[in-house]
Amino acid sequence: MKAALNSGLLRRLGRQYFLFSLLLLILGVIINASLQQNFFKPIALVGLLRTYLPLVLLAAGQTVVIIGGGIDLSVGAIVSMVNVILVTRMGADATQSQVLTALAFGILAGTLAGALNGACIAFLRFQPLVTTFATTSIFAGIAVWILPRPGGSVPDFFMQPYRSAPLGVTFPLWVILGVALIWWYLRSTRFGRYLYAAGGDAYAAYMSAVPVEWIKFFSYVISGLMAALSGVLLTMSIGTGSALIGLDMTMPSIVSVVLGGTALSGGAGGVIGTILGVFILAIIRNIISFANVPSWWQTLVNGLVVMLILAGPGLWALIRGRREA
Amino acid sequence: MKRRISPTLIALALAVFLFFVGGLIQPGFTSFELAMNILRLAAFLGIVAAGQTLVIISGGEGIDLSVGAMVTLGAIISYGLISKRDDRILIGLLASLGAGMIIGTFNGIGVAYLRIPPLVMTLGMATVIQGLIFAVTQGSLEGGSAPLLSKITTEPLLFGIPGILYIWAAFAGLMWLLLQRTRYGKNLFAIGTNRVTARLSGVNVNATVITTYMLCSTLASFGGFIFLGYYERVFLNLGNPYTLPSIAAVVMGGTVLSGGVGSYWGTMAGSIVLTLITSLLTTLRMEEHLRQIVYGAILLVLLAAYGRQRALRQ
Amino acid sequence: MNKVSLSAQHLVKHYGGVVALADGNLEVNAGEVMTLVGANGSGKSTLGKIVTGVVAPDGGRLLLNDREVVFRSPQAARALGIVAVYQELSLVPRMTIAENIWLGHERQGAGAILRDTEMRKKTQELLALFEGTTHNHLDPDLPVASLSPGEKQIVEILKALSWQPSILFLDEATASLDSRQVNRLFELIHEWKRQGMAIVFISHRLDEIYRIADRVTVLRNGRTVAIAPINELSQPELINLMIEGGIAARTNGKQPGPTQTEEILRVDALSTTTLRGVSFVLRRGELVGLGGLQGQGQTELLLALFGAIPYTGRIFLHGQPITLHRPQEAMRHQIAYVPGERNTAGLLPIQSILDNLLLPSWKQYGFPLRIRQAQEDATRVTNVLKLVMAGLDAPVNTLSGGNAQKVVLGKWLLRRPKILLLDDPTKGVDVGTKSEFYKILSELRAEGTSILFYSTDDEELLGLCDRVLVLHDGKITADLSGERLVHSELVAASMGSSA
Repeated sequence: MKAALNSGLLRRLGRQYFLFSLLLLILGVIINASLQQNFFKPIALVGLLRTYLPLVLLAAGQTVVIIGGGIDLSVGAIVSMVNVILVTRMGADATQSQVLTALAFGILAGTLAGALNGACIAFLRFQPLVTTFATTSIFAGIAVWILPRPGGSVPDFFMQPYRSAPLGVTFPLWVILGVALIWWYLRSTRFGRYLYAAGGDAYAAYMSAVPVEWIKFFSYVISGLMAALSGVLLTMSIGTGSALIGLDMTMPSIVSVVLGGTALSGGAGGVIGTILGVFILAIIRNIISFANVPSWWQTLVNGLVVMLILAGPGLWALIRGRREA
Repeated sequence: MKRRISPTLIALALAVFLFFVGGLIQPGFTSFELAMNILRLAAFLGIVAAGQTLVIISGGEGIDLSVGAMVTLGAIISYGLISKRDDRILIGLLASLGAGMIIGTFNGIGVAYLRIPPLVMTLGMATVIQGLIFAVTQGSLEGGSAPLLSKITTEPLLFGIPGILYIWAAFAGLMWLLLQRTRYGKNLFAIGTNRVTARLSGVNVNATVITTYMLCSTLASFGGFIFLGYYERVFLNLGNPYTLPSIAAVVMGGTVLSGGVGSYWGTMAGSIVLTLITSLLTTLRMEEHLRQIVYGAILLVLLAAYGRQRALRQ
Repeated sequence: MNKVSLSAQHLVKHYGGVVALADGNLEVNAGEVMTLVGANGSGKSTLGKIVTGVVAPDGGRLLLNDREVVFRSPQAARALGIVAVYQELSLVPRMTIAENIWLGHERQGAGAILRDTEMRKKTQELLALFEGTTHNHLDPDLPVASLSPGEKQIVEILKALSWQPSILFLDEATASLDSRQVNRLFELIHEWKRQGMAIVFISHRLDEIYRIADRVTVLRNGRTVAIAPINELSQPELINLMIEGGIAARTNGKQPGPTQTEEILRVDALSTTTLRGVSFVLRRGELVGLGGLQGQGQTELLLALFGAIPYTGRIFLHGQPITLHRPQEAMRHQIAYVPGERNTAGLLPIQSILDNLLLPSWKQYGFPLRIRQAQEDATRVTNVLKLVMAGLDAPVNTLSGGNAQKVVLGKWLLRRPKILLLDDPTKGVDVGTKSEFYKILSELRAEGTSILFYSTDDEELLGLCDRVLVLHDGKITADLSGERLVHSELVAASMGSSA
């Protein structure tokens, strides 16, 4: 009985799209733990979670867009935009209500940015890649406009929750749990089903009465919203503002999605895999810094490792194809 | 069949219009010196965008987001090798072209054989190139441009026209020859239009794709070499601001993002228009961030004109 | 179920300057099967698409239960109980059978959460209708991408059924089903009739029409020329109604068999993912047909011989073994492949006629390419082909279907092929162009070119070929020639009976 249950569970796990990512993550953890003595100490793990929490949200939003058959290069610029809105509207001695208004402004701005992307791509049928490339320029320009020079600060009580641990569980874990739950819910609704259909085969979905354009539109709105929330968390974490802060997060957000087993061609994958993908990325960086790679070499090693993982499936298929032919 | 007005002509007309608008705003704008200066900058963008033109024509969601990083690498290699000596210009040039060929070949193999989407491949490659630059220079840049190089690229050569414009004109002729009068050019348009047809007509699709990405990085690296001639100094991310404009110039010139249609004349016209817009915005004393916003908005307008995809309902 | 009736009267549809439907009439009532027949291009698919809301008509009217209706979308028609099963599959490959069947009308429970268990159970009930006719047991959780074409078609039919239609359109729904599955479908149709459903059945297969139809509507050149009970029309009468001028025009390419017996190509135990050990010989100047139902491996055979798909087995050219890994290698051996899917595999639609004709041949024009020479060569080919065009620089998508197909053939004529592989090249081509096409083929044969010719048009195979190899399920089931090259033998072999 128990054996049957076990094998059933194993078989279900074996069918999951993120199996490869899970194995990769476990491998990464083993390597990391062997290099870093205190890796399993709470302080190290919590530090890692706090550093990568904003990327989890950003990549989760990116996943939704990619499943729907698109891509969003503007998420990093939206993070910057929200970050500078928050610090400029708050300041160190902001009252609670000022903080709330600032939050409302920031989240609204991010969502509207997503809606702009969505409207151009879903309704005006612009090409997603270049559209979000163009809006990146716009959002990043707005961010510099709002805060030309890095600086500013936020009240302590705004940053405090980020370092808290309600019920003994660290804050980032709660947020990740929340993201996973919301994703699970979304998947179980018509929107989730239609998202996969629209990304998998837009014409077949259209023929089946799926409102493909609206689904695509909302996928970008969700991405904008998630980028805004990511910007909020980032601001809570660092407490200051910079118009360039998010730009370097776009590429990792896409890489995390791919590392999590979601195909860029759309219609498959999911957010759970992406969460794993973010942590694979985190572990890679962690390993590189603990493997005593000189700092001027870290970007290169990091880039090469990520490229190698991305090339993995193609390389595997190529080798297998050769053998069969 | 409706006949479309050539996008190249539209872009050229737009360039002339902008030129005179500039003249109205600021009388000095239409002077010969300023016009030459704008063309000089346009030539640099035009050379970087030449490779982008090839990649976008090749279709299959072809795009190269590593051109900016490649420009940087090309400039830094030239800077380091030339070290202010005229007799080392050629070595600098060949080395930077060689680096472009190697990087581009990797891009091409990743896209063609490993089936990595061009966007991810080239974005990832941009990080790798950046990493290479950090690793090799360790943050300290030593070297210099050579007087002769600066002379060729910036100073008037004949009839008061800077040498780079002669180079650009010759380069344009070569691009036309490549696209219209070589087997590679014919194959490029074929794979951009329909890869199944191309394969079933004996076109080696993968080889054509790899050649295209290789040419793109090589031309970007050449752009870096030219950059050195202009500015005589280098820094670690000098090429980054050119990735987006290189795509914008191609799109403005009427090269279709889905592949199979395009010309280098169009990209040249697009480069001139974009450079004019930048100059105008500078003339209007618009700050960098506003320029960035206007740039993005212009690209969106361009997409509305050329970049629409097919509707689901027929 | 209420009694329904649908009546389409004098429907008209233009596409640009082309009249697709001039006077389309159709009626169907509860509890009957109406079949819609007509040759290619007669307008039957346009008529079907108008009635199911996919296409808006330019004239005429639609009556549902005697009240005029206008459909703005397939959804609007579906809301009134008119549901269609199309041959272009509307399934999302990566989703499961259950997800596909309920796509667009999922059952929702509390909190808008989908009731997957319930839908899966309903799917199982639907799948039970075809239980035992599929190779594998169909589970609601299987992804559609893993199914065979026939199984996909079954899912498509069940998907339509899940909408609980009062009028069901089956457009070539049996094309990829095997005989067991067709039998089951017909049993089900009888059951649905009893329940009061109205069914419109569109098919090319005459025997099926006579088995299932109550009445028949015949379309010819965009006009409904007859609506009659099926038992009042004999097969020859029905065929005469469908085609003007009869079959005679198709046979004018027929020539005596090859005068030489020199063996050009020998294929030995060729296998691919679809083919299962195919062997045959092709002689110099011979025109050999490939027959059988669609999708039995004919296209794969041609693609393998062109080096476009991997294969096992041996291929001999002039008695020498050759291996073909890539199309370039086949081209070096002067083998040419003309695909039937012009727009997806044969042409570069937005490029010029010149660029299309010369694509396989640019290598011979040096550097820089000698364009004038290329133009002269292309002009010569277009003269041979009698190509009607505005000029060599016109984009190839400005040509009519027949002329476009000539370009696909023409690009290989420049290379003087020894072996020509034709993959259903006359599909959707008008009669006049077809006979020109046949003439070119006979000229090529006279010059010694050997031709392997796959066609979905049985009359064409019978009228044109020296021999016909009939494929069924990846194997050659018959090699018909001489007196055995008749329709009855061809049909029998197509169904898999190796007589």
